[in-house]
Amino acid sequence: MLDKIQRIKEKFESEIKQVQDLPQLEAVRIKFLGRKGSISNTFAMLSEVPKEIKPQFGQGLNQLKKFAEGRYEALKKQFDKPKVDTPVLDLSLSGRKPSIGGKHPLLAVADEIKSIFSSLGFAIEDGPEIETDFYNFEALNIPKSHPARDMQDTLYITEDIVLRTHTSPVQIRVMEQQAPPIRMIAPGRVYRRDTPDASHSPFFHQVEGLMVDEGVSFADLKGIIAAFAHRMFGKDIDVRFRPSFFPFTEPSAEYDFSCVFCRGKGCNVCKGTGWMEISGSGMVHPNVFKSVGIDNEKYTGYAFGMGIDRIAMLKYGINDIRLFFENDLRFLNQF
Amino acid sequence: MKITYNWLKEYINFEESPQQLADKLTDAGFEVEELYPLIQPFSRVVVGKVEQVDKHPDADKLTVCMVSDGTETYQVICGAPNVTSGQIVPFAKVGAELPAGFKIKKAKIRGVVSYGMICSKEELGIEAKSEGIWSFSESYEPGKDVYQILNSNADYVFDFFITPNRADCLSLIGIAREVAAITGNPFKYKDIDFGEDSGNSVDNFIKIHIQDTEGCPRYAARVIRDITITDSPEWMQARLSAIGIRPINNIVDITNYVLMELGQPLHAFDLAEIGGNEINVRTSEKNEKFTTLDDKERVLPENTVMICDGNRSVAIGGIMGGQNSEVSGSTTDILLESAYFNPEYINRSSKKLGLNSEASQRFERGTDPNGVLRALDRAASLMVDLAGATVVKGVADDYPQPFFPGQIEFESWRINRLLGTDFSSEFISETLQRLGLTVENSIATIPTFRVDLKIEVDLAEELGRLVNYANLPTKEVTEITYEAPPSTTEKRLNLVRDAMLGLNLREAFSSSMLKSSEAKLFQQKDLVSILNPISDDMTTMRPSLLAGLLRAISFNINRSTSDIQLFEIGRVFKSFNNSLPDQPHYLAMVLSGNRQPEAWNSTSQPIDFYDIKGYLESFCSKIALDNFQFILYDKSGYYSKDETVSLLVNNKEIGLCGRLKPEVCQYFDIEQPVYAFEIDLDAISELTNFERQYQAVSRFPFSMRDLAFVLDESIPAGDILEAIRKNAGNLLQDLNVFDVFRGESLPAGKKSVAIRMRFQSLDRTLSDKEVDTIFRKIIKLIEKQFDATLRT
Repeated sequence: MLDKIQRIKEKFESEIKQVQDLPQLEAVRIKFLGRKGSISNTFAMLSEVPKEIKPQFGQGLNQLKKFAEGRYEALKKQFDKPKVDTPVLDLSLSGRKPSIGGKHPLLAVADEIKSIFSSLGFAIEDGPEIETDFYNFEALNIPKSHPARDMQDTLYITEDIVLRTHTSPVQIRVMEQQAPPIRMIAPGRVYRRDTPDASHSPFFHQVEGLMVDEGVSFADLKGIIAAFAHRMFGKDIDVRFRPSFFPFTEPSAEYDFSCVFCRGKGCNVCKGTGWMEISGSGMVHPNVFKSVGIDNEKYTGYAFGMGIDRIAMLKYGINDIRLFFENDLRFLNQF
Repeated sequence: MKITYNWLKEYINFEESPQQLADKLTDAGFEVEELYPLIQPFSRVVVGKVEQVDKHPDADKLTVCMVSDGTETYQVICGAPNVTSGQIVPFAKVGAELPAGFKIKKAKIRGVVSYGMICSKEELGIEAKSEGIWSFSESYEPGKDVYQILNSNADYVFDFFITPNRADCLSLIGIAREVAAITGNPFKYKDIDFGEDSGNSVDNFIKIHIQDTEGCPRYAARVIRDITITDSPEWMQARLSAIGIRPINNIVDITNYVLMELGQPLHAFDLAEIGGNEINVRTSEKNEKFTTLDDKERVLPENTVMICDGNRSVAIGGIMGGQNSEVSGSTTDILLESAYFNPEYINRSSKKLGLNSEASQRFERGTDPNGVLRALDRAASLMVDLAGATVVKGVADDYPQPFFPGQIEFESWRINRLLGTDFSSEFISETLQRLGLTVENSIATIPTFRVDLKIEVDLAEELGRLVNYANLPTKEVTEITYEAPPSTTEKRLNLVRDAMLGLNLREAFSSSMLKSSEAKLFQQKDLVSILNPISDDMTTMRPSLLAGLLRAISFNINRSTSDIQLFEIGRVFKSFNNSLPDQPHYLAMVLSGNRQPEAWNSTSQPIDFYDIKGYLESFCSKIALDNFQFILYDKSGYYSKDETVSLLVNNKEIGLCGRLKPEVCQYFDIEQPVYAFEIDLDAISELTNFERQYQAVSRFPFSMRDLAFVLDESIPAGDILEAIRKNAGNLLQDLNVFDVFRGESLPAGKKSVAIRMRFQSLDRTLSDKEVDTIFRKIIKLIEKQFDATLRT
């Protein structure tokens, strides 16, 4: 009978030596020390043990139990300890980066322009890119034989339908719909028959501006352009107006900003002049008012345009307009 | 248009330096695009005399010349055929530096040493292109520095951008008038003084009759005889070269010179070729043909003004002369035309003919009908001086309805209102008079050369630009007194764009003009195409944004970026419905490559259908688009049928979502799968107001139930969800498929779909019993409707 204790002990020892981790240890515990484990089972046999060896057997069994529990506890402690060989976090490794989205740079600049004019009380309007000859030319005081049509080489869909050459037709559409006072801008894509190169694209983007009310003067036009220049490029930007010609404005003016790179001192970008040409503007021509039925005795107005592409190129220092439309991710991801 | 500083000074006196003048003219509306010294500096080029010319022993086209600089003689190899002994030439010595930065070195050419170069005008930067060496017509002293000689009277060239309203300033005299207005100094025309041959009257040579007085209101001519055609003098050649006109011979050069000086185009006919002693001006007949002096036969557009003699047409009026009456080397007598044509006629014909000349450019903008005779006489006097001509007495001039100066009545207060100024009437009158207008009692009389001044606002601009725009007041924007109404289109497009940006997507922006074959991948019929495209690559307006996005994918794959997620918003061009093509705003998105780049802690996984659908679902929920529904896409198009769904709202298809056909991608050289969706934003705007009301959030606990059905492979999981949604009642808050399983434990052709449901009430805690009732109802329904069994 006593050798039974010895056998259990040997078996326990051989099995516990194999134990590698907590679950294995647990399995061994259940097998030997569990409620139905072999050590517990052996205690149950105590009643059947002959009297003479009972004390010895009991003592032996207790020692075995103690021994087994001791080994179990010791090992459990060991496994419970944090593992010495757990790898340390390598904090130099890159994190899980979520993908970065973002606005196209040209449209981000358009947003900036829109928000400046919104804050100055201008509504934002939209119009079709394919326009009738009437809206693109006739209503803007550019009849068919007008030499000014040569200034804008036009792409035609039919003889009377064109890809709009400027955003000015939106002026007409808005004035047809609304009575003065009107204050609006119309950003959008326009088209010209230009062969693409670093500074030309057959499609590009303009913002048209229009204000019509009683007593609007050239002084207001000068004021609004200056307000825009200061908000867009900084308080130190100067604005210059030069006489020019557009059939839909009279007087007409080109306006320039002092160079945003050298702040007017003269550099390569502005070819030493200190100025950068921005776009055209002027006082709405009486013929335009006539074509939309606005009383030109009562009302006066100004209109201006600006090139979004050009402003974006100035803002980011981009020297090739084609970069905007290639959608090269190495380019887009910079913004 | 170009003029030179010294040339201008012959007509008006002023103190301004070239740069100061350029600034003042720019401020007055004459933008100086370029200002540069006429003679570009060069060094060590001296006057040389060619003493001897021999053939090069080893090259047919070269000569070996001996050139003297007065003290020494140099051996120089020359390639120009016009080199001859005795010529006085510009000789660039070894060490000379020419305008283009070209340096002259001692060189051995085919075995013979050359010590320098005999120069052409082109090499000295005098002409853009020239043939042969420059043989001076003046006998300069050998050894003198050529740059010093040419630049003795330093001159500068101004290149102006003249706006199309200012036809009068396409001439030296026009600019001189502007300088007079700016500086206050008077300008004067050149004196014209020549004797006419009193023996003969012009009427004996030519009779002029204008049949179409609308197309040609005035036609005048002089007969000039006994001309000697030769080169024009050096000074005239130099002037013409300076402003970009190539000297030809004295007669052509004189007509060009007067054109540039006075802005009046002239045309010289060979009088011997003019039949019947008459000129008739009429408009063209249908399909009439005519050969112009560039040897091209042209079909004339209707209503083209034609100049005819007694028998035939001899010129297209105001545009180009005819080959049949051109002045040639043997011409002795000429008929010199000076006319005024209707700008609209010239504009229309020159456009239709595709013929644009110095003459047509001026006529179509409007010349001065009363400047015709001055130009004729100025040219005649130059021909007397430079071609030994005799001028026949009198001018043949048909001018049935003379043009008189126009008048503009103006109100000072209205001009001040427009400019934001408070100028006095006197100041306004005085300023306008500086331009050659006469002003009396608020009526301005406009000389006939100012075709652009028609109404009061035109005078306001004249006043403004003479005062200088910089000196006009500026009204600072201080407060906003006017509120802008919200624009719905703009607002909606912004919401859509913000939703896409919120999904961490990159915004693209691409061309709206496509190759026709590209466009046809997306739409076969009713494409909107361009009548006069720039190139074959840009003939058709995009019917889908996907063309541009596929180009973008291809572009990036070619540059080694193959994981791409892009979206774009823009107009597409569908078809003609009304007077204008349909051009709705669309949103499109593409996905291609891997979901995320491979990294140390993640493996890359290719994008599939559920990625693009997920983006679309998130987008719809973001823009508050409710009631949307997906159905299987069953049309043939550019999407793969078995991996594509249509997006329906109120049973209207407003978009597609799925995988693009491999052959469409291959057109763009894309081999990897591309998933896309596109949505008609104008259609969507009619279906949602993009605005959402707050939905109350329950404060009571929810109950969750999972169940799994085994059913036929062919039944879409979406149908089951739909059925549950319809029948579960309003306590069902959320519903989704969390597992789809196929495997050995299931019969063939069956799948298991596991669904999780969340029940919740806004006003109470649900009892288990309540939820179980609904749950059992759902199980029964699904088992019956889809022949499904509950999986346990």
